[in-house]
Amino acid sequence: MNEVAPIQAESLADYVERARQWLDSVTPRFGSGAQRGLETEAWVALARAYQKEKAAAGFACITLPREFGGGGGTEIQKILFGQEEFKRGMPWGFYGVSLGMPVPMLLRYGEKDAIDRLVPPSIRGELLWCQLFSEPAAGSDLAALRTRAVRDGDGWRITGQKLWTSWAQYADYAIAVVRTDPTVPKHAGLTFFWLDMKSPGVEVRTVRKLAGENEINEVFLDNVYVPDSQRMGAVGDGFKVAIETLMIERYAVGDDAMGGPSLELFAARAASARINGRPALEDGQVRAALADALVERQGLRSIHRRALTAIGQGKEPGPEGSIRKLRLGHRRQILGQLLLDLLGPDGVRLDPSEVAATDAAWSWITVPGGRIAGGTDEILRNTIAEKILGLPQDYRPDKKVPFNQIP
Amino acid sequence: MASTRTPQLPRLRATMGSMMEDEIQTMLLDQARRLVETEVSWQRLKALLEEPGSFDVALWEKAVELGWPAVAIAEEAGGLGLGVSALAPLLQILGEYTVSLPLVAGYVTASALAAGGVAPDVAAALAGGESMAALALGEPGESGLMPAARFADGKVTGAKAPAAFAAVATHALVSALDGATPGLYLVELGDSMREAAPTLDNARAAAALRLDGAAAIPVASGWNAVLHWASIAAALTAWEQIGGTERCLSISVAYAKERKVFGQPIGAFQAIKHKLADMYQELEIGRGCAIDALESLEAGETDRFLALAAAARLGASAAYDFASRETIQTHGGIGVTWEAEPHHHYRRARVHALELGGAPFWRDLLLDGQPALENA
Repeated sequence: MNEVAPIQAESLADYVERARQWLDSVTPRFGSGAQRGLETEAWVALARAYQKEKAAAGFACITLPREFGGGGGTEIQKILFGQEEFKRGMPWGFYGVSLGMPVPMLLRYGEKDAIDRLVPPSIRGELLWCQLFSEPAAGSDLAALRTRAVRDGDGWRITGQKLWTSWAQYADYAIAVVRTDPTVPKHAGLTFFWLDMKSPGVEVRTVRKLAGENEINEVFLDNVYVPDSQRMGAVGDGFKVAIETLMIERYAVGDDAMGGPSLELFAARAASARINGRPALEDGQVRAALADALVERQGLRSIHRRALTAIGQGKEPGPEGSIRKLRLGHRRQILGQLLLDLLGPDGVRLDPSEVAATDAAWSWITVPGGRIAGGTDEILRNTIAEKILGLPQDYRPDKKVPFNQIP
Repeated sequence: MASTRTPQLPRLRATMGSMMEDEIQTMLLDQARRLVETEVSWQRLKALLEEPGSFDVALWEKAVELGWPAVAIAEEAGGLGLGVSALAPLLQILGEYTVSLPLVAGYVTASALAAGGVAPDVAAALAGGESMAALALGEPGESGLMPAARFADGKVTGAKAPAAFAAVATHALVSALDGATPGLYLVELGDSMREAAPTLDNARAAAALRLDGAAAIPVASGWNAVLHWASIAAALTAWEQIGGTERCLSISVAYAKERKVFGQPIGAFQAIKHKLADMYQELEIGRGCAIDALESLEAGETDRFLALAAAARLGASAAYDFASRETIQTHGGIGVTWEAEPHHHYRRARVHALELGGAPFWRDLLLDGQPALENA
């Protein structure tokens, strides 16, 4: 860390201006244009180089302490920087998990030695962390996980299978939630650890997603030794710590097309597409779809702006921010489908040099995961109904039964 | 319909002169809550639904006494000058209980008169509640607001679609063509001009107008002027729609927690939970649009306001339509009875969505205004 301007002294507007200037200066090398057509390996190398420069400029982990290489800034600075970064299509996604959850959790729960040794290089992007949460039989229902940890001297032996783990094939370390006591009800028998992905017994296999993307993995853990000093939180508190992990990024950043084409681009494409020789934008169905999307975007922008104001004043944003992902994922999917309809027979093309932000086919084919990862549409509706509206929980017959007695 | 109560505006002005803005706002909302709690009942509202052109005169007189018609009207025009942001929360409370008072019509008409520099006495009487206005902007055969009625030689001739409050109003702000140019005209209503036909929601005091050379004062000229004032009406009406949507959600949630089938509250079933979660989303999208339109109106924006008003109109209409129909569905059999509350909202949601022009018309306005929303 050197040559970093004193952040506390500057206004938010000055901060954003400085962020924009820096981002603009590196966009030609790292922005969306520089990523077109890159294979996974080359893209990862680009993401690593970007993270190194971002950390040197003081924009990595904006809310984490400067002594570990963070920005020492505020939540609102982080959100505003993230928005600018998203707009330029910077390759932040490679470190999204690593720096979003595991590293802040290590700062909260790790031993001093581990923090000093691992946090600074992680923030610089030299080390990567993954999150071993979901399993084949535990997705939305995380507490149903089966990976076991049993005592072994000063530590634990972990055995099981994790799934949907982003970037595990490149990860140096992981946080993991595992079952340490199968004789108690499922939420009560979990414990949280961090572990070295290079430990004997860890095997990673990449799971190819439907559009061919290579970021998710299954991780097999075969009698992997973890010292008890790497336990995070009390034995049996794993579910609580896992929820705490997921709450860190409680106000997520993104654009208002969720990575798909903007509504301006949609309108422009619909204006140039023809239906029996007439501009598709004159078609009533197309107009209704675009109008619906514009109304939704405006409502979400208003919600977002109020949330930023609240966060900027140190207050909790309203619960209505939780509808954003649910709305935008679905919207991107139906608009992608409609835009392809407007292209007609030529819409079947899937051009390898194109990306989701500018291309209907890529937007459409890569969006299904967005409606599942980070809370399925169905779970998000349940959360709104239960947490905001106060409706009863679903029937959960396994909730109070010892885990090893669940049929 | 003139109020028999003494206008309280001078006294209110004196009282408010010593109050902070948020104190005034709190006072208005307290008054509104108290009024709907003490004076409004579903029984009374049902009685209004029975007869075409119904209007709660006693409630209107109370509202006049409290100065509500004057709240947003500029002081120069005879109002209290508290702005649209003071009126919106009031409308929201009235909307919760499907209370129909011509506050939006009065504000829009008085403001249009003041902007046009005509009929200052009428504007002041609207603020004081001695006069009452209706917005007669729709016509048979037109989904949107393009008029076919004619203005010539100081007179308007043509048929207007049922307009809220036209059954009881003293004046109407009427759209008509002068040659090929649409504009707005002030018409003093006589009983021979109006016909209170049965409507989906008889509590709107609606009447169709048949104008046959009715004396008319030109107020504003040009299609943009018509859109401007209609958009203000839409942006404010959105708050009544948001109030109604909120009420639908809250009674549906309460019912879903209480009503049991198959051994569980119906609110424990995802079919109901997800429906109500969708209702919540529609409400918050609509509210977000309504907030943005109101702020834009207060800031005096032009192009951006028109686009935001269209978004608020569409968002709030969609939210209230969705919430009201699914409120009936959530209530099941009881929801389709006359005695239950949901049909008040089902009716009100639809007439709100129609009175200022149908969705296809506002979608066109929104798409025309899309460039102003790129970074909104």
